[in-house]
Amino acid sequence: MADRSKTSSPTGHSDEVEISALTPHIAPIHFPTMQIVGYAMSLALTLLAFAMTAHHWLSPRGLVTVLVILAFIQAGMQLLIFMHLREGRGTLWHIPVLGLALFVALGVVGFSIWIMLFKSGVS
Amino acid sequence: MSSNVFIPQEFQDPQESIRITGFWIFLTTDVVLFGSLFSVYAVFRSRVALGPTPHQIFAMGPVLAETLILLTSTLTVSLSLYSARSNHARWSVAWLIITFSLGASFVTLEIREFAGDILAGHTWHQSAFLSGFFTLVGTHGSHVTFGILWAVMLVIQLITRGLTVINRRKLYTFALYWHFLDIVWIFLFSVVYLSGLAK
Repeated sequence: MADRSKTSSPTGHSDEVEISALTPHIAPIHFPTMQIVGYAMSLALTLLAFAMTAHHWLSPRGLVTVLVILAFIQAGMQLLIFMHLREGRGTLWHIPVLGLALFVALGVVGFSIWIMLFKSGVS
Repeated sequence: MSSNVFIPQEFQDPQESIRITGFWIFLTTDVVLFGSLFSVYAVFRSRVALGPTPHQIFAMGPVLAETLILLTSTLTVSLSLYSARSNHARWSVAWLIITFSLGASFVTLEIREFAGDILAGHTWHQSAFLSGFFTLVGTHGSHVTFGILWAVMLVIQLITRGLTVINRRKLYTFALYWHFLDIVWIFLFSVVYLSGLAK
């Protein structure tokens, strides 16, 4: 929103970026380095998670916490490296929609687990 | 729009780039779908009734193999997209064929796992845990199966029509779909299988 020299206000009809945080980041690539690095990191994180479970390195509760954190790191890598999250044309409108869906999904999962921790009422 | 900005081929046609945004919005509905199934599984995980516990029916060997297969297919589909962007249509088709072959071996391993459970009498009628498990993992497996059919049709279209504007967009959205399924599997592997074996 800092640059208002070119146009007076967004019209929404062309490829102009209406929110600066949602500007596409695109770089032409000449060799799939990022894909190979991403693959190697995914393999490393998967095998780390597997080894932690197989060798009982942590208490069950601590292990599940670490596994979920590792899964989120790997999911973020997939989004940024493989799914080209910041690629697009004009404003990246898919990012706020995706954020809203994640908010709903994590809310459903989180509150379901939270309410079951009380185990009151039935059973 | 200043014309000196680099736009990837898939986004150069305005109509096709809108379709890519539309596909992202479809994926967000799938995020909510899998979120709901994960929460059902989390709630019913300990409700095993007279059936087996997670620890008793999960075999880590096949599951680790499935994970490595799906991770590798993630790399191959991204190389297919990379080849398409470099205008190597044949390489793009070759990587795509490898991708759906890996997907097919993933589904084969999963069906073997399910068939083994069912033959042992562990159907989804047996306990709330098994209902949640088969619904969650089966929904992901059916997504992968649909993705294989999609990839086969995409290979046919790429061979007959080449890297057209429409085919480039189809390949881009297929890659998005396939990577999304890999993300879901990462959570299945961690939250369902590995956590089920944590003791």
